[in-house]
Amino acid sequence: MSQYAIKFSKEGYICYTSHLDLLRLFKRAFKKAGIRLSYSQGFNPHPKMGFAQPLSLGYVSVGEYLEFETDKAYDPGELKDLISAQMPEGIRIFSCESMGGQKRSLASRNHAAEYIIGMPMGRELGREEVETLCCDFLAQESILVLKKQKKSGKTKEVDIRGKIQSLNFLAAGENLLITGLLDSGSQSNLSPELLIAAIATFLGVSLDRSEVGVMRTKLFFE
Amino acid sequence: MEISRELDKLLKQVEKPARYIGGEVNAVHKEQARLRFGFAFPDTYEIGMSYMGLQLLYHILNQQEDIFCERVFAPAMDMEALMRKEGMELFTLETKTPVKELDLLGFTLQYELSFTNVINMLDLGSIPVFSDQRGEEDPVILAGGPCAYNPEPLADIIDVFLIGDGEELLPEVVKRRRKDQTKEAYLKEICTIPGVYVPRFYQPCYQEDGTIAEIQKVWAGAPDRVERALIKDLDAADFPVDLIVPFIEVVHDRAVVETFRGCTRGCRFCQAGMIYRPVRERKPETIRKIAEQQLAKTGHEELSLLSLSTSDHSQFEELALDLMSMCKEKNVSLSLPSLRLDSFSFRVLEEIQGYKKSGLTFAPEAGSQRLRDVINKGITEDDIYSAVRQALELGWNHVKLYFMVGLPGETFEDLDGIAKIAKTIKEINYEVKGRKGGRFNVTVSVSNFVPKAHTPFQWQAQDSAESFMKKHDYLTNQLSVKGITFNYHDTGTSELEAVFARGDRRVGKVLVRAFELGCKFDGWSEHFNGKLWAQAFADTGVDPDFYTVRQRSYDEILPWDFIDPFVTKDFLIRENEKALKGDITQDCRIQCAGCGMSRKADCLPEGEK
Repeated sequence: MSQYAIKFSKEGYICYTSHLDLLRLFKRAFKKAGIRLSYSQGFNPHPKMGFAQPLSLGYVSVGEYLEFETDKAYDPGELKDLISAQMPEGIRIFSCESMGGQKRSLASRNHAAEYIIGMPMGRELGREEVETLCCDFLAQESILVLKKQKKSGKTKEVDIRGKIQSLNFLAAGENLLITGLLDSGSQSNLSPELLIAAIATFLGVSLDRSEVGVMRTKLFFE
Repeated sequence: MEISRELDKLLKQVEKPARYIGGEVNAVHKEQARLRFGFAFPDTYEIGMSYMGLQLLYHILNQQEDIFCERVFAPAMDMEALMRKEGMELFTLETKTPVKELDLLGFTLQYELSFTNVINMLDLGSIPVFSDQRGEEDPVILAGGPCAYNPEPLADIIDVFLIGDGEELLPEVVKRRRKDQTKEAYLKEICTIPGVYVPRFYQPCYQEDGTIAEIQKVWAGAPDRVERALIKDLDAADFPVDLIVPFIEVVHDRAVVETFRGCTRGCRFCQAGMIYRPVRERKPETIRKIAEQQLAKTGHEELSLLSLSTSDHSQFEELALDLMSMCKEKNVSLSLPSLRLDSFSFRVLEEIQGYKKSGLTFAPEAGSQRLRDVINKGITEDDIYSAVRQALELGWNHVKLYFMVGLPGETFEDLDGIAKIAKTIKEINYEVKGRKGGRFNVTVSVSNFVPKAHTPFQWQAQDSAESFMKKHDYLTNQLSVKGITFNYHDTGTSELEAVFARGDRRVGKVLVRAFELGCKFDGWSEHFNGKLWAQAFADTGVDPDFYTVRQRSYDEILPWDFIDPFVTKDFLIRENEKALKGDITQDCRIQCAGCGMSRKADCLPEGEK
């Protein structure tokens, strides 16, 4: 068994494919490239591969990871080239590394993610103004937002303050650029959607969600 | 409007945005080409991308250096609403070009109930719907596919219909287009190519009773009859190996090879069985080669075969065994649709399905031997029962049965036969597995007979809505039995299908009116709106009964008579007469039925099977 992880981007229109679709895309790419993945045992065997952290539909990213296992050992550089050759526009493979010796998967070691959120404000903002806004936002003792519960479908108020590790606002013309380091992974996770809602409420702007862009720039691992 | 800039905003608001992005593996991009063609499928992406003909013609057109073929689909309701709100026009998937900027736009007509989508797509593309309202700057609008065999309902909308096999015809027609030539000149030039029908060069005149008096030619240079285009050697014909691989799951997500075209069985209701004659096969080695290349170029994990009846390939056993071993080696699953259930098929199914036993499907189509003889469906109850017994012994526990109601000369005894077959299958299950035989289900699916053009039943009346409903009720009663699931097709859509399947040029205005009233995606039960359609008929003064429940006489001029499918009218009349007497016609591999096809092409020699 050999374990590898590739780092890749998801840019342009391909950001509108779901993470399950992306998994299928990689599965077919491996097949085309002739890379034999290891399969799980059991009634319904599936290839051993998975993302470090799924990316929401519509988000762009320059720092995604896919881990996988192969039956035979490959040279990571060769793997990178083989996989790169199969990728559609919008997916760049940055690197491929052997994960041999790592007991825990990237998915289980992920604890934080960095995002850049672009929010149209409808007017020019000053540098100092946005810095003050950011400080004031973070100075809140609790930041309550409504979150839809997955199972019941009901909405519940949750406090997201503790899940924001760091935050920075930057004025870019009529847009507010928000850089946020947020909890990510199975222990504690904050969806940028909740942060967007909280900031919009705080700023008192009514937001057209379809005009907000989100890019994941980095995942952090233990 | 710059579509690509605005599109992002829309994609964030719709379901399955990947339907609209293009850029899939094996999608084609060309920097420059003399002619830009849009292949339009009048339904959603998932349905259109499952259609082999799209992949085939896309591949063939894009092989031509001077043609760039892109894809266009009907946006789903949510996307269309946003596009209309934002003023975004229908665009191509590959380059997000508004369709009205293309040189030619070709629709594939796979089912009548997609006709309103054709109109809606033109409208969404800001292209005038009626051909006489379009100018020189608008694209030439083409249409092909099985529904083009009765093109008249769309005759005022489409500029050029292509009848028959498209592999050679479509590129030929597209290549002839020159930008320095008027549309009129172009249409006059291509209308003599076999397979091309230019409706504006013909004008039907009607008698007082509403039937056609004659079809006058408006331009003397147009041919009297339009012969279908025919690929004689399918084995030598191009077939795509670089299939576009959708990002999202579509209906059929797999590699697929067409093994043969045509069918020899001669079921009298079946349009495909008539218009795709004769049987033309690909050789097993050609099929295997295509399959291997497809799998290599797509990474697909499933391979399927395409034809009207998989087991009827003359070298099917050899082919199946070969593909089975190839798929096993490549870790690809093999799917063999519409197998005839003989002992060989069971051996194959055992091998390829393993423990995953899906339902077993039979299409007896009619409930009694008498009625099956009328429609020339050569399957007996003994065939079904012995196959079911074998299947049960091998561990299947679900049987699906397909029937039609409203077949010519049908009586309630024939309907009793449907119930009898379902119940007998249940009994066989008890015999095989004992009274407590575990989970077992029989599903009976009933559709409503729609007489189609170019079939022996093209003169027959369709059942009335009342009669259909009475029959559905009757069967519901008969089949309210534990272990039997009964479902039937909606009557309203079957009537509508019948109007357009045999409609003349006058029903076109009903389509346009229905579109104005908001009808689209009529084949989707959740979108079909019978009330709006009733209003569309009323508003245009068209009586649907004239097209549905009216029996035609042999000497009536039918709207599609000018199209020559190479199967003669004499043959169709003979078959209809035999049907009335309950006489069967042999599979034409055993004995030539004299349909007229052999004048035009080599049918497979007698006794080859």
